[in-house]
Amino acid sequence: MSLFGTVGIILQLLIVVALSPLLIGLMRQIRALMEGRAGPGIGQPWRDLRKLMRKQPITPRGTTEVFRFAPPLLVATCLAVAAAAPFVTTASELDPVADLFAVVALLTLGTVALALAGLDTGTAFGGMGASRETTIIALVEPTLLVAIFALSVPVGSTNLGAIVTSSLDDPGQVFSPVSLLAAVALIVVIIAETGRLPVDNPSTHLELTMVHEAMVLEYSGPDLAMVELASSMRLTVFLGLLANLFVPWGIATTGAPLVIAAAVLAFVAKVALLGACLAVGEVFLAKLRLFRVPELLAGSFVLGLLAVAASFFLA
Amino acid sequence: MSTALYIQLIDLAAGALLLTAVLVLWRRELASIIEVFALQGVALAALVGIMAVEQGSAELGAVALGVLLLRAGVLPWVLRRALAGAGATQRETKPLVNVVSSLLAAAALTLLAYAVSQPLVQLAPSAATHAIPVGMAVVLIGFFVLVTRRLALSQLVGFLLMDNGITAVGFLTTAGVGLIVELGVTLDVLLVVLVLQVLKTRMREAFGDTDLDELRELHD
Amino acid sequence: MNPVSGALLGAVIVGALSAVAGLLLPRPARSAVVGVGIAASGVAAVVAGVAAMAGQGASLALPDLLPLSGVVIGVDALGGLFLAVTGGVAVATGIYGMGYCTGGRHGHRTDGRLVQATLPLFVLAMMLVPVAASVGTFLLCWELMALTSLLLVIAEHRRRPAVASAGRWYAVMTQLGLVAILIGLLVFVSNAADGTFAALRVAGHHLSPTVAGLVFVTTLIGFGSKAGMVPLHAWLPRAHPEAPSNVSALMSAAMVNLGVYGIVRVGFDLLGGGPNWWWLLVLSLGALSAVYGILQAAIGTDLKRLLGYSTSENMGLVLIGVGAAGLFASSGDGTLAGLAMAAAMLHIVNHAAFKTLLFQSAGSVVYATGRRDLDDLGGLRVGMPRTTAAFGLGALAASALPPGAAFVSEWLLLQALIHGLPAAGISAAIVMPLAVAAVALTAGLAVATFVKAYGVGFLARPRSPEARSAVESPPSMIAGMAVAGAACIALALLPILVLPAIGAVAGGVVDSGDPVAVTAMTIRLVDVAGSLSPLMLAIALVVGLAATLAGARVFATRRAARAARLWDCGAGPLSARMEYTATSFAEPLQRVFDDVVQAEQDVDVTHHQESSYLVKAVEYRRRVPDRIERRLYDPVLAAMAGWGRAGRRLAPGSVHRYLGYGFYSVCALLILLVVTR
Repeated sequence: MSLFGTVGIILQLLIVVALSPLLIGLMRQIRALMEGRAGPGIGQPWRDLRKLMRKQPITPRGTTEVFRFAPPLLVATCLAVAAAAPFVTTASELDPVADLFAVVALLTLGTVALALAGLDTGTAFGGMGASRETTIIALVEPTLLVAIFALSVPVGSTNLGAIVTSSLDDPGQVFSPVSLLAAVALIVVIIAETGRLPVDNPSTHLELTMVHEAMVLEYSGPDLAMVELASSMRLTVFLGLLANLFVPWGIATTGAPLVIAAAVLAFVAKVALLGACLAVGEVFLAKLRLFRVPELLAGSFVLGLLAVAASFFLA
Repeated sequence: MSTALYIQLIDLAAGALLLTAVLVLWRRELASIIEVFALQGVALAALVGIMAVEQGSAELGAVALGVLLLRAGVLPWVLRRALAGAGATQRETKPLVNVVSSLLAAAALTLLAYAVSQPLVQLAPSAATHAIPVGMAVVLIGFFVLVTRRLALSQLVGFLLMDNGITAVGFLTTAGVGLIVELGVTLDVLLVVLVLQVLKTRMREAFGDTDLDELRELHD
Repeated sequence: MNPVSGALLGAVIVGALSAVAGLLLPRPARSAVVGVGIAASGVAAVVAGVAAMAGQGASLALPDLLPLSGVVIGVDALGGLFLAVTGGVAVATGIYGMGYCTGGRHGHRTDGRLVQATLPLFVLAMMLVPVAASVGTFLLCWELMALTSLLLVIAEHRRRPAVASAGRWYAVMTQLGLVAILIGLLVFVSNAADGTFAALRVAGHHLSPTVAGLVFVTTLIGFGSKAGMVPLHAWLPRAHPEAPSNVSALMSAAMVNLGVYGIVRVGFDLLGGGPNWWWLLVLSLGALSAVYGILQAAIGTDLKRLLGYSTSENMGLVLIGVGAAGLFASSGDGTLAGLAMAAAMLHIVNHAAFKTLLFQSAGSVVYATGRRDLDDLGGLRVGMPRTTAAFGLGALAASALPPGAAFVSEWLLLQALIHGLPAAGISAAIVMPLAVAAVALTAGLAVATFVKAYGVGFLARPRSPEARSAVESPPSMIAGMAVAGAACIALALLPILVLPAIGAVAGGVVDSGDPVAVTAMTIRLVDVAGSLSPLMLAIALVVGLAATLAGARVFATRRAARAARLWDCGAGPLSARMEYTATSFAEPLQRVFDDVVQAEQDVDVTHHQESSYLVKAVEYRRRVPDRIERRLYDPVLAAMAGWGRAGRRLAPGSVHRYLGYGFYSVCALLILLVVTR
């Protein structure tokens, strides 16, 4: 247990927990400004969370522990990934957990917990959300794993720290066709996994267009706060992975306090920039019909496959 | 006994075997077919007896006696009783293959038997093994009789011809078939004959005739 | 007498005694004694298998017991692994069967003399197949296994007509598989000194490529059919649902493994590896099985049929590992081959554990409600909490999510596949990404399947009166599920318990060193970079959960929770008809994969007498046929029926004609003999 590693973990957790609602706030503010509205301000998600925490908890009749424990489990998976992944430092204490396959599987576990909670309510909305979400997960898996495959070929490992270090050592790698193709594939995957436009509309109120919102329809109060926090943390984690896997400069490799501070700033800046781009893109996109989503995912799968082929033929 | 006499006697017995088999094909009346079959039994017993005398084996002599009793005595007696119980004229009036063609077929089968048995003879050439093709021919002729005769009793005789041929080949190829084996085979044959006789009686009671060609229900 | 032979002998004796007890004892004691006997036999088999994997072998030759070649028994590390797996499954299902066989409130007694006597014999046969060391012994034990399992599958045929049809399919396909294996092994033996595996091993190195290829392909057909490999899988989704649940557990968790054992034994051990196309064939058939199997499972609504298709899927994953191991071995990369083989073997062990648990809980549901269709279940959490927990644990393990058991083996498999790229040339460059994509799609669909099975079948509200009145199963069934559940948890968190031994066995099969270095905390790959710590992952999750709950307690309000109505749009209390069913859950997936699945749908609309504009009732029926069966099996069966009808013309009824056939064929053969001398 080195000091460097422990400090890194604590810093990552703090940043992710504290700043992810602000990321959501930033994205909503940018959308509002582009759409000609005043917007609620960047801090609104935190105000919402505080309001929700103060409300009375409600347990719907007929639900079981699966419904009650899904939100904490979801938050726990996000915390585990935030602690393990190399956001601020490359030398995490949880290095054996920081395997790319393990990280995506953990995040899928969170989604599964939520889907089961949706089915547990026994309402048609819960079932519908669970059904659509698991379909999207099932179709996203091949793209995700093939993109990870493409990323791991130049490095020879799927360990996150190793991939980040190898990109740091060889900057030209970032602009290779392999990286670019894998990056595009991963962007589509992230949009699908975090439920952003065009796969899912996180601010819709129409049940027929809901995927994620339908699963969590019955949650309120502190449970809903946990779910909202978890979804913002998931977005932060995914964008952070995207940033540091492809553009890792600024990450701390040594333990000097100045370096660590710079790494924190670099991480925050990168994630904020990616979030802003995503928000700008969402203004111009409409939600895809559910049965057009497989076509989008198939396209990203082809890109991932090409990335792997390129990594072999151009090696 | 001297070798020349031995060879002559063996060939005589083998020739008698073959001749009686061909006679079964030629004759029409069932009564005479059964008599010819009895004669074949005598010839087979003589064959075994000659080998017994040549080898000086008492066991083989006992077997020869048993063969005589069974194949020239018991079996023809059973067949005659069955024939008597049948009543009216029992002639094989229209075999499926007419007599002339049957005889030609018998000649062809004998040639085939000779061709097939060559390797067997060449394994251990001796006076006894030179008669093996005759045994094979009797088997094939017996099978032919089984296939082409209509009445159940003649088919039974064909089956018994096959068994005679097999026994002859057995004795000719080995130094001596064990007494127990011969006894077992013989008991099997006796049982088959008795069962078929009972079957024949039932068939007559049910259908009035044992012409197998009239029975055509054995299909899907 | 070393531990291996002693324990194996003990297992055989106890098994035989249990069979006799099942035949003789009166009904009250029968299933209990047989269950205990099977469990004891299983324990002995586990001891023998573990000792064999540790390096101690045993062999025994009884030349007079069987004609032609006698009985030759030889326990080596590879056989020991499968022996141990079978023993473990036997322990859990033996205890479980004590309660299950007495039948639930809805009938289903399976403690008749024949069934109870055949159960231990089935387990014995499955234990003897991996230790057979000559072709004659192997085939004898294989056929004994097939016959006893057939008797067990049709145990309930008097009660349900579907069982007889399932039994017919099973019998025919098993026998055809046996014929294929027989042909392959006999061709092999004809080129060797005698029928023992030692002689075959020596001869395997000198076989011509054509003969070796023929032997491999025929044995692949026979063994693959037993392992549930698509397209020879048609018996699996028929036989597993219709058999009693403890028999289904035994078949799915122990018997199908022996198909993989056969392929590994013949391909790697006896034939000594082979050219690339063999392993590419195995890998592609494995990928096809995995994807097709889990797709059918995702679409299906019969709980046990779903589990049967999931077995086909998992065996497909195992075959992907075996095929990859063969590819790497034939291109010279021993460590990767060992890694792929270790992944395949670990997956066999994991699958045995969670499939036993899943079938046991499904059997518990059938015991309590008499229903197998997910659309009729639901709400079982209230009446059957322990069964629900067991199925949840099994579903977590089966869906390859951390901290489940299958996650570790799938991780190992993926690591083997992704590190294979530089090594094995152009074919690997095309095959490996596709294999990774197949594994990934399988994993995603498995998540969908088990979310559906667990969520629709066990949570929310009951959809039928039987589900509403379900009560928990008797203690013996719970104990059996606990054994399997403990195994699942141990395999998930502490792979150090089995992985070193499995790594040694895998290394031995492909003639390389140990491919994994395992500590209590971490699995580290040898020669390639990669490490995983399932225990640390689980601890991180638990710590995160605790932190979240603590944070919620601190920051959230202190007011007590209030119970409230579910959102029903103000229309009144929700009924069970408004819940999502398994059919509706799988509908998006069915639409996406419609080209493969091609479900048949019927919609019947009944109008009112008064007006054809008013609808009285709408009936919707959907059937998902097995498309590979439709395309492959139906034409073959139709052709055979056509041949049979044509052959009828050969049999007009005349006895003389029939005798003549015999005579003419004998003469023809004799003439042929003369001519070709």
